[in-house]
Amino acid sequence: MDPLWVIFLKAFVMSVLLLGGFAYLTWYQRRLLGRFQHRLGPNRTGPFGLLQPIADAIKMIFKQDVTPTRADKFVFILAPGISVVFALVTFGAIPAGPANSFFGLDPWILDLDIGLLYVLATTSIGVYGIFLGGWAANSKYSLLGSLRSSAQIISYELGLGLSVLSVIMIAGTLNLREIVELNVWSVSPWLWPGLIVALFAFWISATAEVSNVPFDLPEAEQELVAGYITEYSSLKFALFFMAEYVGMINASAIIATLFLGGYKGPAFFDLLIPGMSEWPFIWLILKIVLLLGVFIWLQASLMRMRYDQLMRFGWVWLFEIALGAALLTGAVIAFVL
Amino acid sequence: MLVFAVLATVMLVGALGVVLLRDPVHAALSLVGTLLTLAIAYVVLNAPFLAAIQVIVYAGAIMVLFLFVIMLLNLGGEAPAPTQPWIRPAAWITGGLVIAGVAAALVANPGPALDTAAIAAVFQGSGVEQVADQLFGPFLLSFHLVGVLLLTGIVAAVGLVQQRATETDKARAAAGQAGHMPPEVPPMPPVVEDAS
Repeated sequence: MDPLWVIFLKAFVMSVLLLGGFAYLTWYQRRLLGRFQHRLGPNRTGPFGLLQPIADAIKMIFKQDVTPTRADKFVFILAPGISVVFALVTFGAIPAGPANSFFGLDPWILDLDIGLLYVLATTSIGVYGIFLGGWAANSKYSLLGSLRSSAQIISYELGLGLSVLSVIMIAGTLNLREIVELNVWSVSPWLWPGLIVALFAFWISATAEVSNVPFDLPEAEQELVAGYITEYSSLKFALFFMAEYVGMINASAIIATLFLGGYKGPAFFDLLIPGMSEWPFIWLILKIVLLLGVFIWLQASLMRMRYDQLMRFGWVWLFEIALGAALLTGAVIAFVL
Repeated sequence: MLVFAVLATVMLVGALGVVLLRDPVHAALSLVGTLLTLAIAYVVLNAPFLAAIQVIVYAGAIMVLFLFVIMLLNLGGEAPAPTQPWIRPAAWITGGLVIAGVAAALVANPGPALDTAAIAAVFQGSGVEQVADQLFGPFLLSFHLVGVLLLTGIVAAVGLVQQRATETDKARAAAGQAGHMPPEVPPMPPVVEDAS
């Protein structure tokens, strides 16, 4: 256990890094989308367009900050704050390496025994930002956007909760670090079918939770201008934007931690350099970047779902499939192992 | 003790806000704040599991549905005047009686009313096991009964909505024209078959 000031320092560094990660995620996304669409993407500001996010940030800061006259001022200002704070706070529970591996420090901020529940709790509070932002703006489009997003997120939270159940049952703990240390895939091959189904159910639910394509109905620009962020401008808009991208980073980090070995690298790297698979940070960051690439890939290849398709898919298919995966895993643990 | 005092003050202010704020959304937000502060109190009491469940279930799910209904029905601004003139004094009297009752019970039995040691043994620490042992052990029957109770509520809600829907359909058919549908909150939006 580190002293308190170290924990505060780590939390501060993590927030700054996530801010930078958000800025460069926009660059990564635009470059990748450009390649997917046979374009170059932003490449003029600095080498490979690397200064583009900084230019965007400066532009965003100097924009006029408009608050609609009929808006609920207090809630209007509160909403982006809620979004961004709970997006950042979620990341604090994710371990980035084995204990004491980072120059004698633990490469995580919170090592909670209920880590997984903590992650679910903070993500479910993050909904309020979207929800209240859309309501407070006092605009029809914003309100429709937030109603859609809340219905969607509540519906897909069921799939999310049920699909992590397989991992919890196998690991027998809610501590994210212990889940990584155990490596759920190594327990028994009999558990693989349930885990694979759970992985995809979790992935789809997480995509819906962060409102990524094909579940980006809350801000369907053809119908709703920009959904819940229609009336937001300048820094408040940037905060919502940041919350969304940090949400994507969180989703990737949680998928990696629960299902893909988290901060551990492939064991055969130990043959090259002993202990390489235990290095902190790099493996988790590599996995996050790869998973973010898949999210962006989805953005480039899939079309948005219609609202009734979204609801039907969530309740009729995803919920049942995730439940089936949990039952299958439970049956294997009870009868086979 | 200081921490508890601060938390209790915030909780009480939040709870008063739920009752006193005019705008339903503000009142609901105040309730969210109260529930979150309660979760912090659980953390301070070294019961993180309870805190997480409190946030996930109450703040994360139930209150979002509350707000959803408020926004969907577009309840906003000033609440209309009560339809029955006696409702307001009656509410004051009932509330006063409850407060008096609680105060009287506190004066009569100072000290903890519950077996705090037993509760602490279950909820303190990080384990989910102790909670599960209690829930699926001695309290198995009540656990199932609560489940049946919740299911009854859901079935009743569906029944009410269905009944009202068929009545409106009949009324429409009788009138021979599209009537004004009362705003309803379906548990799921109607599934429209793909036209193609």
